[in-house]
Amino acid sequence: MTTARGWRKWSIILICLMPTIIGITIVNLIPMGYNFRISFTDTDRGIHNGQYNKSLDQMNTVDDVGLQNYQKLFSQLVSSDALIAFAKLIITLLPFVIAFVVTQRMIRTQLMRPSTWQYWLAAIAAAFVLWFVLNDADGFNLLAQNDFFVVLLRSVLYVIICMPFFLLVGFVLALILNNPLIRFKVVWRTLLIIPWAVPTYITALIWQFFFRDAGTINQIFQSLGLEDPQHPISWYNSPLLAFGAIVIVNVWMSYPFFMTIILTAMQSIPADMYEAAEVDGASWWVRTTQITIPMLRPPVIPAVVLSSISTFQMFNTVYLITSGGPTGGVGKPGATDLVMTYAYKQVFQQQNQVLPGIYGQMGAFATIIFVILLIATLISLRVTNVTKSAYD
Amino acid sequence: MTTTPQTASTVSAPSIAAVPAIPRIVTKPATIIQRRRNQRVGLIISYIILVIAVIFAVYPVYFALLVAVRPNGQLLTNNLIEQFLPVTGISLNSFTTMIANTKDHTFLPWLGNSLFVAASTAFASVILCTSAAFALSRIKFTGRNAVLILFLAIQSFPALLALAPITILLTQIGLYKSLVGLILAYSAGSLVFSTWNLKGYFDTIPVEIEEAALIDGCNTLQSFFQVLLPLSLPAVALTAFFGFLAGWGEYVLASAIIPAPTSLQTLPVALHDLSISRSVPWGLFAAGSTMVAIPTMLAFLWMQRNLQSGLTAGGVKG
Repeated sequence: MTTARGWRKWSIILICLMPTIIGITIVNLIPMGYNFRISFTDTDRGIHNGQYNKSLDQMNTVDDVGLQNYQKLFSQLVSSDALIAFAKLIITLLPFVIAFVVTQRMIRTQLMRPSTWQYWLAAIAAAFVLWFVLNDADGFNLLAQNDFFVVLLRSVLYVIICMPFFLLVGFVLALILNNPLIRFKVVWRTLLIIPWAVPTYITALIWQFFFRDAGTINQIFQSLGLEDPQHPISWYNSPLLAFGAIVIVNVWMSYPFFMTIILTAMQSIPADMYEAAEVDGASWWVRTTQITIPMLRPPVIPAVVLSSISTFQMFNTVYLITSGGPTGGVGKPGATDLVMTYAYKQVFQQQNQVLPGIYGQMGAFATIIFVILLIATLISLRVTNVTKSAYD
Repeated sequence: MTTTPQTASTVSAPSIAAVPAIPRIVTKPATIIQRRRNQRVGLIISYIILVIAVIFAVYPVYFALLVAVRPNGQLLTNNLIEQFLPVTGISLNSFTTMIANTKDHTFLPWLGNSLFVAASTAFASVILCTSAAFALSRIKFTGRNAVLILFLAIQSFPALLALAPITILLTQIGLYKSLVGLILAYSAGSLVFSTWNLKGYFDTIPVEIEEAALIDGCNTLQSFFQVLLPLSLPAVALTAFFGFLAGWGEYVLASAIIPAPTSLQTLPVALHDLSISRSVPWGLFAAGSTMVAIPTMLAFLWMQRNLQSGLTAGGVKG
């Protein structure tokens, strides 16, 4: 702790933080401001490219269009039908909110954590019933006309589907590696960390080959007799299979991270808890579910939140493997377009040069995505209590 | 005289509700032999899962190695066995062709560029993050929490959407199409996570050590360099490592900032361009990929121990 006071203290702070602040300003703040600025204009590519050599003042052929870009983004989302559809969806999600509030109150008022799965099951059933009663499917189809909504929802779905697999594979492998009877642990752990260690652009291209029509996976299936060579399973032409492909590759790339964190956390669980449980007659399954999993909660939840935020923004893997999936046409998102690939394709694809004002629209898109990510990050701060210690 | 029967004790179990009642599922093996057999079954299942997982994990990298050592450098084969074993023989053709500088693929300049960018990013990252984390952890000033949250909030703007503005900005500074501009972009990008991590690690080192040094006559700067930094070497090594990774394996920013002259490109952009060129030299691509992947893997494995201790600082304690 420094004993400097007054201006000496502030001069030290300034010297320490100034390079960082300069860097963040250049790489983060100014682009954010620029994006925000052009989201109110109708900049497009021709004007933009010319500015690589000119100064920023010469944006004279660009007009301010006010909130028009935002309106286009939300087009059809603010009609009365769409608002009704939104309301119906929110009502369908209410059982989960109610279950959450009720279980939190139960957990807080009882000394031992009660089993809460009945409430969640009831919430799922209630939501299911509400879906059909309110005829949500029609509303959903109406909302799905809007590109922005579709891409956003698909990214959320991607995160929701990927996360359980990460946790499952990481947990099972960490459980096995934690077993004192397993030998050659260093070898196993080294080999299992390889997906994390190899740069993603290389492995994404390798997986891209695997999933091709003539690729390794189809060849294995053919040799096992599961399909015939005339009709290979076309992973890239079916929306569902393409989505499955990027889920599989993401699981392959991300499980070592979770495995490492879970293994480290498991090794710090004191052994006498297990011994006490064994004396009380607990079997292996009971020990694992009642001791290991609750004790893993503190480090795993921050990891899940961080990983969700970065999976939501994932670009490299998805773009290199499916480039956004079977496409629906110019300007429409493909079947595996996540948020980032959609933005990238809108801005950098050739055919979009004829669409006027595309940079302005993507500026609006970027601003909205930033707001969403900002809210998610702030929520994650509350959930993980990063500014406090873990045992508070 | 008959004894009065003892009344049943009215105090059975302790009535404290806090005793966790572990449900008694009767699966406990009755004999030691049965328990040992269960353990052996569990072990066998564990080993099977491990082998399957290792095959799943290692096969893609192994496949790249296979293609790299194939004599004809072909990617597509109809033979199933060839996907798993180097049936057609092992040759180092692809490697030698890749390293030899032809006008299409100049591997060594790419490697040099990537190494320069990655090492500089690691260095810059360490300098920036340690100074920022020192100020944030050790000095109490009024805006501290605000700065922390501001860092996190600003980082949530995805770099992909900032491609065009960053490029324009670098052009204004005059660093477009130069490696230094790339280093600037990468260092600022990996700042926040590393600063948070380093700050957390600094927080776990008791302040009393530095205060003792101050009493003994150091000034603030000396206490930082000679007391705090040596104690937090794992986390600092981790910062350097992440900075190196950011510079070594990043594609999008590199493709935007240094797109064109082939000799100035970094490895990710160059290899990707190779893979989408007209007649893709897959053998060469696989050879290049293998040569890129192996140092990264080695660095990763070397850092493994530090990964565990450096990442979970501030997480699970004890």
